Amino acid sequence: MLYLILALISGVAGGLLVLLTGRNRHSLSNFITLFFSASAAFFCWRVAFLVFAGERVRFGWKPGELQWSLDPDPLGAVFGLIASTLWLFAAVYSFGYMAGKERQRTYYAFFLLSLSVTVGVAFSGNLVTLYLFYELLTLTTYPLVIHDRTSGAVRAGSKYILYNLSGAGAILIAIITTHSCVGNPDFADGIVLAGCDSPVLGWLLVMFIIGFGVKAAIMPLHRWLPEAMAAPTPVSALLHAVAVVYSGVFGILRVVYSVFGYELIGQLSFSKVLPWLAAFTILAGVLIALWQDILKRRLAYQTVSHLSYILLGAFTLEPWGLAGALMHMISYPMMKMTLFFCAGIITEKTGETRISRMAGIGRILPGTMAAFAVAALGMVGMLPLNTFWGKYYLMKGSVAGGMWPLATVLAVSGLLNAACFIPVVVNAFRGVRSPDRTGGDALQGGEIRSGTDSGAFGDGNDGNVLSRILKDRRMALMFVPALLLVLMSIVTGLLPGIVWPGVQAVTDWFFQ
Amino acid sequence: MGGKTVLLVMILAVPLAGAAVLLLLRKGDKNIISVASAAVLALTLFLLKNVFGGGPVELAIHLHGPYAPVLRADPISALFVVLAAFIWFAVSIYMPGYMEHEARPRSFGVWTLLTLTVVEGVFLAGDPVTMLLFFELMALTSYFWVIHRGYKKAVRSGNLYLFFSIAAGFLLTLGIVLIFVATGKLPEVGSVPATPSDPHMFGWGIALLVSGFAVKAGAVPLHIWLPHAHSAAPTPGSALLSGLLIKVGAYGLIRTAELAGCVREAGNGVTWLGPVLIAAGICSMLGGVAAALLQSDAKRLLAYHSISQMGYIIFGLGIGFYLESARDIAFTGAVFHIINHALFKAALFLGVGIIYIRTKETNLYRLGGLWRRFPVTAVLMLLAVLGITGAPGLNGYASKTLLHHAAGMAAGTGSPWLVWAERLFVLTGVGTAASFAKLYYLTFLGKPSDDTLIRNPGDDRVSGRMQPGMNAAMALLAVVMVGIGIAPEFFVNTAVIPAVGASDVDKAVADLTYLAFWSTGDVIGMVITLLIGVLVCWVGLRYGIFHRKFPVWLTPEGLVKLAVQGISRLWRAGTGKYTVLAENAHESGSAVKARLYSAIRKFDRSRSSTIGGLRLTGISADAAILFMILAILILWYTIIDPGLHDNWLPFIRPQ
Repeated sequence: MLYLILALISGVAGGLLVLLTGRNRHSLSNFITLFFSASAAFFCWRVAFLVFAGERVRFGWKPGELQWSLDPDPLGAVFGLIASTLWLFAAVYSFGYMAGKERQRTYYAFFLLSLSVTVGVAFSGNLVTLYLFYELLTLTTYPLVIHDRTSGAVRAGSKYILYNLSGAGAILIAIITTHSCVGNPDFADGIVLAGCDSPVLGWLLVMFIIGFGVKAAIMPLHRWLPEAMAAPTPVSALLHAVAVVYSGVFGILRVVYSVFGYELIGQLSFSKVLPWLAAFTILAGVLIALWQDILKRRLAYQTVSHLSYILLGAFTLEPWGLAGALMHMISYPMMKMTLFFCAGIITEKTGETRISRMAGIGRILPGTMAAFAVAALGMVGMLPLNTFWGKYYLMKGSVAGGMWPLATVLAVSGLLNAACFIPVVVNAFRGVRSPDRTGGDALQGGEIRSGTDSGAFGDGNDGNVLSRILKDRRMALMFVPALLLVLMSIVTGLLPGIVWPGVQAVTDWFFQ
Repeated sequence: MGGKTVLLVMILAVPLAGAAVLLLLRKGDKNIISVASAAVLALTLFLLKNVFGGGPVELAIHLHGPYAPVLRADPISALFVVLAAFIWFAVSIYMPGYMEHEARPRSFGVWTLLTLTVVEGVFLAGDPVTMLLFFELMALTSYFWVIHRGYKKAVRSGNLYLFFSIAAGFLLTLGIVLIFVATGKLPEVGSVPATPSDPHMFGWGIALLVSGFAVKAGAVPLHIWLPHAHSAAPTPGSALLSGLLIKVGAYGLIRTAELAGCVREAGNGVTWLGPVLIAAGICSMLGGVAAALLQSDAKRLLAYHSISQMGYIIFGLGIGFYLESARDIAFTGAVFHIINHALFKAALFLGVGIIYIRTKETNLYRLGGLWRRFPVTAVLMLLAVLGITGAPGLNGYASKTLLHHAAGMAAGTGSPWLVWAERLFVLTGVGTAASFAKLYYLTFLGKPSDDTLIRNPGDDRVSGRMQPGMNAAMALLAVVMVGIGIAPEFFVNTAVIPAVGASDVDKAVADLTYLAFWSTGDVIGMVITLLIGVLVCWVGLRYGIFHRKFPVWLTPEGLVKLAVQGISRLWRAGTGKYTVLAENAHESGSAVKARLYSAIRKFDRSRSSTIGGLRLTGISADAAILFMILAILILWYTIIDPGLHDNWLPFIRPQ
């Protein structure tokens, strides 16, 4: 239980400490950020291992009528693991990205606060607690979205608030209805709606899905997500590819498997529509992404598409489907964060945000674009990378559930993902960069190498791409997290057994 | 891990280590590639001896979780492994000389060694997921061959190649998934799964696997990527792509057929597989050869012939899976042809490459009379050309004769479409002879359009001295070709039949003693075919038939292009409409929004405020205050004084 509390308050404590530091004590605030992110991750791991071992870690508080409880089951533990671990990577990346930027203190304070809130979402033990943290997440991430204070960022922030609060409103109604029927039991005690046979169950499900669907970016509730790309890149990478959107996805997983349970939900007619809704979002998201010229927007639409992979797995109501959803939930953020990290490096180093102007950029940033290339293949879901396993199990789940067209949707979406990113990579390495641009520091440094050499390991200068990158401290801080994520993804792709215990714990938990 | 299983790991590790060394050395050493390939060749020969002598070698790595890789060498995979290593070795001798004339030889060498690893991996994979892993990696590593030259067309060909490969990978993934669900477990490579609980789904799974491997094998409706990719790569890459990588498709088809239960007892299991493969084989044979006749570029001509020759192989496999009586002979013929095609196609590409680096020309109509300048190459090329056209005394003749016998047996069943299949088989032989007569005549014999090509054969200012390794590589291939051609019985009995028979555990080792390679009828038939081919070539060259451009809709490629154009036109029209609609909606929406906004603005003028040091922009001060009130209310009702629920929120009935 102590671990649970420590994991939860690490972020808050860190955030407050950052606010207390002096205005320009950047290295101190960086250190605080790193320390408290690491401690949150450490305690999340401890909690997760306890939970996977079958222990119940619970912290309850009942000040009045309402029961608040932190009570992670395996699903919550997995989400907590993913979020807190990736936070570390995003923190390190932020040190590089935010260096020399304004309002760093605010940034790191809310960055750490969001960590706490996300861990709270993961560990929340009942619907009311989940709702509290879910709402708080919107509020704590809002300052990060409008961090640049440009008019675009402010507009994006308004949209962000509008969509997310409306969604939360729907959830509130659904939670009150649930409460009126069964009260507020813990998820870990069994299916929440087990004893309830209200005629409005179908509508209740609709309300829940709409509510959580806003953050999970189910089409047509996704519009806020591409707008939120106005945020600094580490925020886009972490919050709008992983933490915030995952809290929506996590909410839906909760609703399907903890609140309703796969048996009850299978009897509702609306649940037959859900996988197709997810399939629609998968295809539509990636198709729209194909049109986008701004790299971050393309990534955002692709996030919309990939979140629905997870939902699709959840909606198949099959153990394999759920396993696929979890596999994808674990593996996809590694690749997506890499893509965002690389996009951030490109923008910082060359000033380019548009894909059409990124021709030849691989010659300036070979290491970055190589990492980008691997991550792009990860989005496709090919084998040496771990995203394959998510896709594989999702296909298995949908075929076993008698919905084979969904498996083909996954395959087609993989091809579309390839069409989305492979041209970007190829163009970056093979295209010709028009010389009239002046932009970020790399160009002014005159680092464009002439000649034909452009491979990931060129002949002339002997693969010392890495050492060149490591010389630039800021670049190193941005590049190393991306590189580590890529390596992690290859390792877990070849040895999926590493993440399997978590996945198995969840599927066993819900399908006993 | 026993002594033999170490071999499996070594075969994969040696080229990988070679690639690493090549990367780490500051000035890449050219010989590393051939040393590594030679080592792999030795290892694979040793493995082949072990497997033929002592049964399959297996290395299962027991891992917890969804993936436990298995490496396994049974006779047929051992044969493929040796073939790959041998072709790689020959090409690696050739490579240093050739790559002097290309940019970035070292990165090309690294990809070549990596591709060797993954190709051997595909052949040694013991479970479908491992096979898929290496299959996907193979697409990636060989992609770098295709785009190596870096000009626009190469990159486009590379993209085409990559997309087809990824699509093939997805077809295989779906196939594996369906088979898993239908049978309840992941099948082993080279085994017949227990009777599937859902035969219908199992059949679909097999169909998906077949189409996935057919993409790689370049079977005709799925071949579009092949001529582009194979002609865009530098020559060693083309030789390996055409000589070996498409054989992975054929290997996959054999494995799929085993899984479908068509190999041990032909005609059983999934029954449609044989006929479908026969049809695909015929289409590829004819389509490939017809397209090849029209090519003017030597490398594209060879690439189209790869399609055509893969057609022979697929056709043979199809008959083997379809007809019980012809199983042994057809299956043997197909596997034998895989080996032979690898040999002569690699040799042909290497020969064209030698000419290319000295003349910078692959357009046949600009070459000519080169036998004087390249006498050795001309002789070696002649051998390769005779091999692929099936001239008696060379290896192509032997395997084509077996396939022809199988086709004859199929035609003997009397069903009309099989009779036609046999006729079309012979017709393809004529076409092959014609197009290679054209290739050889235009390159080495005919009158050159440009005299500088043959003048001053000793003075190669353009491209420097010729490396002896290049002709040596061709000679190595040619020696094996002639050896097989002279004593086909010996080769078939020692190498092919044990491999083919091994996938046939229940029956005795196939008794192919009735194989008659040298019956007069066959020899005369083949000679007549060749002569007709030469005649066709002469007529074609004389009257310029080979220059005729067919209307675009007649070629499958054109069909696809038209379809894509049509779809994109529809798409554009649709999106155009959508854009107009969306813009209208957006305009009216923004009008409403603007009105609302101005209304709200009247209410709230201030756009930013400062609360306790935190500057809020975008949310007005009033809104912020509203938020705070809301937050206080929520806190109040939920935590501090929730007793009011009954009165204020009638929904909630505390339990």
